[in-house]
Amino acid sequence: MVTGGTKYDAIVIGAGHNGLVAAARLARTHGRVLVLEAGDRLGGAAATSEIVPDYRAPAVAHLLEGFPRRIERELKLARHGLRYAARDVPTVALDRDGDHIALPRNRREYAAFSKRLPKDAEAYRERVALLRAQADLIAPLLGELPPRHDDPGSLKRFLRRAVLRAEWQGRSALRKLMQTLPESIGDRLDAEFESPLLKGVLAFDATLGGGEGPYAPGTSFRAVWREAIRMQGQGVRQPVGGMGALADALAAAVEAQQGEIRLGARAVRILVENDAVAGVELSDGAVLHAPLVVSALNPRVTMLGLLGAARLETEAALELRFAAPAGSTAKINLALESTPVFSGLAPELHGARLVIAPSLHELDEAAAECRDGGFASEPVMEILVPSLADASLAPEGHHILSIIVHNVPFDVEGGWEAKRETFVQKVVRTVDAYAPGTADAMIAGEILTPPDIERKYGLAGGDWHQGDLRLDRLFGFRPSPAFGRYEAPVPGLYLCGAGSHPGGGVTGLPGWLAVEAIGAAKGGER
Amino acid sequence: MTPDTAPQKEEPVEPNRKDIDPQDEQAAVDPALFEEKPIAPPFERTVLTTPLHLVTSLESRTNRWTDWNGYTVPEVLTGLGDEYRALRGAAALMDVSPLVKYRIAGRDAFAFLQRLVTRDIENLGVHRAVHVILCESRGLVLGDGLLFRLADDDYRLVTEETHLAWLMDSSEGFRVRIEDVSATLGTLSLQGPLSAFVLMQAGVGDVASLAPFAARWVTIAGMPVYLSRTGASGDLGYELWSDAEDAPHVWRWLVECGGPLGLRAAGFALRELARLEAGLPRAGQDYLSAFAAIDAREALPPAAIWASPAIDLDKGLFNGRAVLRRGSDEPPARRVVSLAIEGLEPLRFSTLSLEGRVVGAATSTGFSPALGANIALAVIDAEAAAAGALLAAAERRDGLSVRETLASVRVLAKPARAHARRFAVPAPLRP
Repeated sequence: MVTGGTKYDAIVIGAGHNGLVAAARLARTHGRVLVLEAGDRLGGAAATSEIVPDYRAPAVAHLLEGFPRRIERELKLARHGLRYAARDVPTVALDRDGDHIALPRNRREYAAFSKRLPKDAEAYRERVALLRAQADLIAPLLGELPPRHDDPGSLKRFLRRAVLRAEWQGRSALRKLMQTLPESIGDRLDAEFESPLLKGVLAFDATLGGGEGPYAPGTSFRAVWREAIRMQGQGVRQPVGGMGALADALAAAVEAQQGEIRLGARAVRILVENDAVAGVELSDGAVLHAPLVVSALNPRVTMLGLLGAARLETEAALELRFAAPAGSTAKINLALESTPVFSGLAPELHGARLVIAPSLHELDEAAAECRDGGFASEPVMEILVPSLADASLAPEGHHILSIIVHNVPFDVEGGWEAKRETFVQKVVRTVDAYAPGTADAMIAGEILTPPDIERKYGLAGGDWHQGDLRLDRLFGFRPSPAFGRYEAPVPGLYLCGAGSHPGGGVTGLPGWLAVEAIGAAKGGER
Repeated sequence: MTPDTAPQKEEPVEPNRKDIDPQDEQAAVDPALFEEKPIAPPFERTVLTTPLHLVTSLESRTNRWTDWNGYTVPEVLTGLGDEYRALRGAAALMDVSPLVKYRIAGRDAFAFLQRLVTRDIENLGVHRAVHVILCESRGLVLGDGLLFRLADDDYRLVTEETHLAWLMDSSEGFRVRIEDVSATLGTLSLQGPLSAFVLMQAGVGDVASLAPFAARWVTIAGMPVYLSRTGASGDLGYELWSDAEDAPHVWRWLVECGGPLGLRAAGFALRELARLEAGLPRAGQDYLSAFAAIDAREALPPAAIWASPAIDLDKGLFNGRAVLRRGSDEPPARRVVSLAIEGLEPLRFSTLSLEGRVVGAATSTGFSPALGANIALAVIDAEAAAAGALLAAAERRDGLSVRETLASVRVLAKPARAHARRFAVPAPLRP
């Protein structure tokens, strides 16, 4: 061990978007900040990777859905180079026969929508209204620190505001929310809609990222949660240069405040002296001193791995021991030598989020397959052609297909080595059915199975959300009660990753709020 | 003689293990390997006997048995008064094998225990013991016990109740081996003013020099015994830890050597009485483990159970530190106290009241010959303990009729029995 290393005011472990947001905010108020990144790129799962030279694809996540305006403005991300190639990206449910459904964003699109689905149009309007109303209740809670467990008044104030807002909405709002909490999205949609395709796309959005099927209890609330996360941001957006551009802008914001970012620096231990955090030890033995360490890594890895269960009380360590996340999402990026044409899809919608989820039944089947360690023969997925809006991603005339495949198990029966090729074949064949010629136009591709995502991006279990977005794992219970306020029991150690409130998605909020918690602790506020 | 007709060598009935060729498919196979063995589920037996069961049953004149931690132990062997006189006048020998014993070993055993118990065990030398308290994260007591250091990285934790699940849960992140060795050890408790002399008579050299809470390996009747100067009697006393097989022989030899000096074998009731006189609360009886307490008020912090619990807030992290540190200056709302009750008849009672209001309950009761009064350990509201003028609801039995009376109660400032001899060095050989 090398002692007498450099001294910083704060060290952030992990240069994912949450780590960078935390670092950029810390750098403005907490002096010298150092960001340690084990990999050789910034951004974590929100990065841009090169499939083959000149073909750049969003590595894992491909759209910004809930990145708050206040973070963007306060960190001056526009000045640091963040531009958008597309704003308010629409969602389209792809139909096998070319009769696609574009989810309406405005009155004009709603007219087209009701022409396509005359029976469901009114129900859809009501559904969106209810979803928005319910998301309105919880959305403000996402943007602030969760309540403390040891202060009953804190929880009361927290809930009281939500209840007041519900009462303001009308008598039935609270009743409907109580009904929504345990409900399954499948049951709800079956009761409201007729079109299998519409039900499929709505349920897809509610279950994406989790391992449950559409009929699992609690999935209806996930739709509300996702809507509330979207409300944090400014609509679905696609940054110029892929998701990596966001990380680059954040990194520029860190560096503008004299913050330092070190790539290829793997933290192996969080050092504790006199019961408080003293710094970080790197894999090469170097010791970096700082009284404040903020970790964007998985809470379990941070606490049980870097800090060590021995530095925690038994019960706090126990809470994390069984919180092993398991991802159920795979990513496939394809480089095409021509423009993909989805049959029957209007040209202006080719840059949309294209969802292949034909019906609830197929989603349910896919979830069941996934639980049994397999994948569906026609996987459900979300496709984006980012190069349509952002020509910088591929050579002229060539395109990128960024595909998020839902319900893919971490442990596949027979092992991923053996099944990888079959899996890609199935996905490509499915895409080819909707956009004939894709398979022939394919010149390169990369696949990230859940184990690949874990290995390459350090997301434990390949879980994008770093822990299920379930009612029992949200707010102050995320990742577990003892760590629900970002701070660890060891003074000076904080969590700032997606494993903390408000959870996964490229929102930057966990990082932003972690710094708020640090400030609150420093100010002696409770 | 052709090779074919050469007399075959006699096959050994049990083939030598080295002769077995794993590649030979035709080799003779020991059928015993394939016999189905009934799988004994763990904890199938819930009624257990101690290694000393046979010798104690031979001593029993009353046939009064009781259950202690699932073990059948004698409650009274001859007579409680008789046994008590031996304990306080000469020496009493008791079987305390049902105590739960854990062996905690490994390179992180010290760090593991520092995090587990509230006191600082930094200065615990080899062959020494200390009283330790286990807390959970809210600073409430899970149990207490004696911690022996057998070697550098080898400890023995002796508790009243089982804590294996908690120890295993706490071991995450430590290189430590935890073993329940309760069944492999026979434990004898030799208590009383003549106990050192009895040991000398039994052939233990230089008994007197053994300091309180110190231990040493000795040989008794040719058997290795770990002898520690510990016990829960408020007087001079020793505990003898030996192999389960050796324990009955140690017992017999001590009875043989001590008998002429007045040593009597005694049962569980005497141990309870001695503990009560010494004012030592017992887990599960006078206080509940925080995990067992259904009513949150029944889970107590250390300061409520012991007058000056060993807690070192500055030693580093231990379970419950954060809460104990925060609440270190405020006195607990409920306390475990020693009481003396007016009236000489043996009583059975439960509730304690102050001005008509129930303020607590007695948890252990008994008649203390040392004090000449009925005494008890009770959990009561701290203010009530200070107020005095407590009343105990007592039941008196006359023949077949039961009378309920109220007896006045006073809080004992010091335990009924705490002889200075228990800490004397060298240990007195004569009373």
